[in-house]
Amino acid sequence: MNFLSLIWLIFAPIVVSLIIMFPRFPNHQVKVRRFAKWFAGLHFIYALLFLAFFDTSMFGMSYEKELTFFGMSWLKSLGISAKFAVDGIALLMVVLTTFIVLITLFMSKIHIRSKHKLYYSMVFLLESAILGIFCAKDMFLFFIFWELSLIPVYFLISQWGNSEARRAAIKFTLVSFAANMFLFFGMLILYYYNFAVSNVLTANIESLNMDEKIYPVWFQVTVFVNFLIGFLVRVPFVPFHNWYADVQSKSAAPVNIMLSGVLLNTGVYGLIRFNMQVFPEIFKMFAPVLMVWGIANIIYAGALSIVQPGIKKIVSYAHISSMGFVMTGLACLNSTGFNGAVFMSIACAVVFSALFVIISSVQFRTKTTYITALGGIGQVMPKCMYFALIICFSAIGVPFLMMFTPKLMVLTGAMLSNLEQQLMVKVAAFIGLVAIVVSAGYIMYFFYKVFCSVLLEQWKKVKDLSPQETAVLSALCLIIIYFGVYPMSIIQIYQSVSSIILDVIQV
Amino acid sequence: MSEIVAAYLPEFIIILFIIFNLTASLFFSTYLYKLSKWVTLLGIVLAMASTLYLQPETYAFNNTFLSNFYTLFFKILILMGGFFLTLLSRNMIREKRDRAFEYFSVFLSGILFAMCALSAVDFVGLFVSLEALGLSCYLLLSLNKNPNAKQLTFGYLVQGAVVSALFLTGLSLIYGMCAQFDFEQIGLFLVNSMHSGSQPQVLLTFSLILMICTFLFKLGLAPFSSWLPDTFEGASYPIGAYMSTIPVLACFGILSRILMIFLNYTFTMKIVLAFVAVITIIFGSLSAIRQENLKRLMAYSMSVQSGIMLLGLCVFTTYSLSSVLFYLFCYLFANIGAWSAIILLYNSAKLEKLEDLKGIIYHRPYYVIAFTVVLIALAGLAPTCGFVAKLYIFSAVARSGFIFLPFLIIAMLGCVIMIYAYWRIIRAMFRRIETDIEIDTHVISSKFILYGCALSTVAICLIADRLIQFCQLVAYYM
Repeated sequence: MNFLSLIWLIFAPIVVSLIIMFPRFPNHQVKVRRFAKWFAGLHFIYALLFLAFFDTSMFGMSYEKELTFFGMSWLKSLGISAKFAVDGIALLMVVLTTFIVLITLFMSKIHIRSKHKLYYSMVFLLESAILGIFCAKDMFLFFIFWELSLIPVYFLISQWGNSEARRAAIKFTLVSFAANMFLFFGMLILYYYNFAVSNVLTANIESLNMDEKIYPVWFQVTVFVNFLIGFLVRVPFVPFHNWYADVQSKSAAPVNIMLSGVLLNTGVYGLIRFNMQVFPEIFKMFAPVLMVWGIANIIYAGALSIVQPGIKKIVSYAHISSMGFVMTGLACLNSTGFNGAVFMSIACAVVFSALFVIISSVQFRTKTTYITALGGIGQVMPKCMYFALIICFSAIGVPFLMMFTPKLMVLTGAMLSNLEQQLMVKVAAFIGLVAIVVSAGYIMYFFYKVFCSVLLEQWKKVKDLSPQETAVLSALCLIIIYFGVYPMSIIQIYQSVSSIILDVIQV
Repeated sequence: MSEIVAAYLPEFIIILFIIFNLTASLFFSTYLYKLSKWVTLLGIVLAMASTLYLQPETYAFNNTFLSNFYTLFFKILILMGGFFLTLLSRNMIREKRDRAFEYFSVFLSGILFAMCALSAVDFVGLFVSLEALGLSCYLLLSLNKNPNAKQLTFGYLVQGAVVSALFLTGLSLIYGMCAQFDFEQIGLFLVNSMHSGSQPQVLLTFSLILMICTFLFKLGLAPFSSWLPDTFEGASYPIGAYMSTIPVLACFGILSRILMIFLNYTFTMKIVLAFVAVITIIFGSLSAIRQENLKRLMAYSMSVQSGIMLLGLCVFTTYSLSSVLFYLFCYLFANIGAWSAIILLYNSAKLEKLEDLKGIIYHRPYYVIAFTVVLIALAGLAPTCGFVAKLYIFSAVARSGFIFLPFLIIAMLGCVIMIYAYWRIIRAMFRRIETDIEIDTHVISSKFILYGCALSTVAICLIADRLIQFCQLVAYYM
């Protein structure tokens, strides 16, 4: 497939972002938006083609491509090269990212009222950075895209959010920079220790984990913890979760969709790519702790979710809570749990972006996100209510909707896992079952308060969904129902990859 | 004579143009002032072209002047810096038309002595050249009309005199030990004394510290960094750019030569230098985030960047030396780019505070983007050469042993703080406040340099591999 080049896929959004930023580009909002939507649609189709021609039975990376400058590879003398490739997990994330960007652009029309050129260029810059993270084969290239993603996120939050958004954006940037320092430090010492041991100067992720016996345990633990902190801030995970709800409650509605849909997956991907693949031994050692941590995350963030005053905060904490299932699934170290975890992170992205789409429609009509100010909107927005019902049921884990299968797989995997400290793991898995009830609590509380209780006087003239919003939500609900009924269609894409990763761990 | 041509040609050309400028200042002082800039540019270009005729590893003047691949690298960097700085001096000579030729003769003599200091192979030549470089800096600093300027720059003069005295003290101690001025002879003496077990370790370290104070002072490193913000605030803008480019390039070139002689014998010195570097980075970055004046911010920026380079240098392997060379190369473009943006801002609307920058994005988007790119390069973030340079230098430190790891962590922390300092400038420019600032777009030379530097920082990042190989070659030749 010669026309499928990852380099085009990754760098096309950057080019489009520069074109939009170019001062000669018409500063007319309709033109900018139309151009952006057309590009995002074509880009999504192009990404789908990668999926269509993907060989699911292949073990390892495919679509490998190297970016060269005048025939020279980039920074060869430092062992760093601009190589891109995807495996099943990365490819799914890539397609998901392009899809969420498309959804975001459809929802941007009503919410973005100023600085259109900056907005659309920043969305595409973020898309490019995220795609680069998923496709990079080289550790430092990964890091460059990881850092690059901070700049558009800062602007997206601060420029179009409410009055406190700037503060939240600075908080996010500072927290992320602090986490990135850990990440970068871990990468540097891994890079040099690898050089000292094997005498090959390389930052290629695959060659770093080729022979896992060469590093001493203390060194592996140091680097592992550095990576873990770096990625858990992005996921976000409980001691480091504070930025996420803050940012989400203060930024504009389409930015919410974008952040919940594309940003958090990068953290999960980093955990799989680095913590699991480069340090399988240490991951095995840490697995019981991580599993308990994941369960604690579900319970704690869920409890926080119930007491929040704003609907954006409720949904963000619900998202944080659901990410606990991902960690629990990864820590099971069996194929059921692992497949469930990857599926869960994709399902979370889809379901919570859909919830933010609902919130954006509600916020646009009522101009508020406080749960006490809302109520009974379902009577005037029936279409929106039915969509919200499907999505909320999916978030709880009702069968035949998207999040049921991964939750089931994760908890089954936790029960079946043969880690050390059996008792602790079993108890944790059982508590995880209870946690589903907690999630039902906060999601249904949200749904009831917004759509079902007594209709307030001031919302009686609220109009129902526009055709565009209906189209977006129908697309999302179709995806949720399709992958709920037929989950194997996603799982089979990355099954071979997961078997490789787990084979290495269980040696 | 032929050996002089083979080793000394660029300096010789520069001397000719200094003489021309001085003579011309007698005859056409106020009119034809524009000629001075073009003559100086011609001189620098000719000197650069003449480096093609140099032969490798040649000595001149009775073996006191060395020209090899390593000195050539630095000389070309200095001449490139000189070329840009000449173009940036446009408003400087407009304000003082009667002094234009004198200004450029002093300007060129600074470049000349920086080049001579790089080629010196003994301490006498080195000391004389460094003092002459310092004198040119004092003269350039005194050219500002601002009444506070004299007071602000006086600290530089006094501290410069003190560190020169310290250098001489250290030099006399070394001479007392070895009875030699020549670098190679001193190196031989040290080898012999180490074999015979009679090496005066304490005295050696002490005298080395005394000598290195000069370089710490000129590079704006702690504990001699107190002159930096005041002097930069008092200096005219092109002089600020000059002070943060030419002496930095020259001093790193010389410092690595001196360290090459001594550093293998005093391990303590490595640790001392690493301490100095780390303290500078932390102190400089913490001070930089509180500055409101752009010149003061750039002063601390220079201090932090020198600190990072010193951290790379104090490890002292061939690998780390090449990383410092690469960093200097990137620093030249990023620093001059940032200064040209600031100069453009000042020349057109007399803006010098951070808050004056608000809302510029609406008037001059290209300018803001180019300025942002060079600031990102200075901060060391991804799509520019600054990232590669920082990666290279930190990796050189990480590679050289676990003793330096704590220093590395602290330095990285300082760099993150420094990113915030640069980020404040970018944020101010992107503020949504409407202003009526008009940046003069007629200044083609400054704009040309700003856009050129912004483009080259990105281009260097892309072709970094070839440049790194070149720097490794240069470091090997040293």
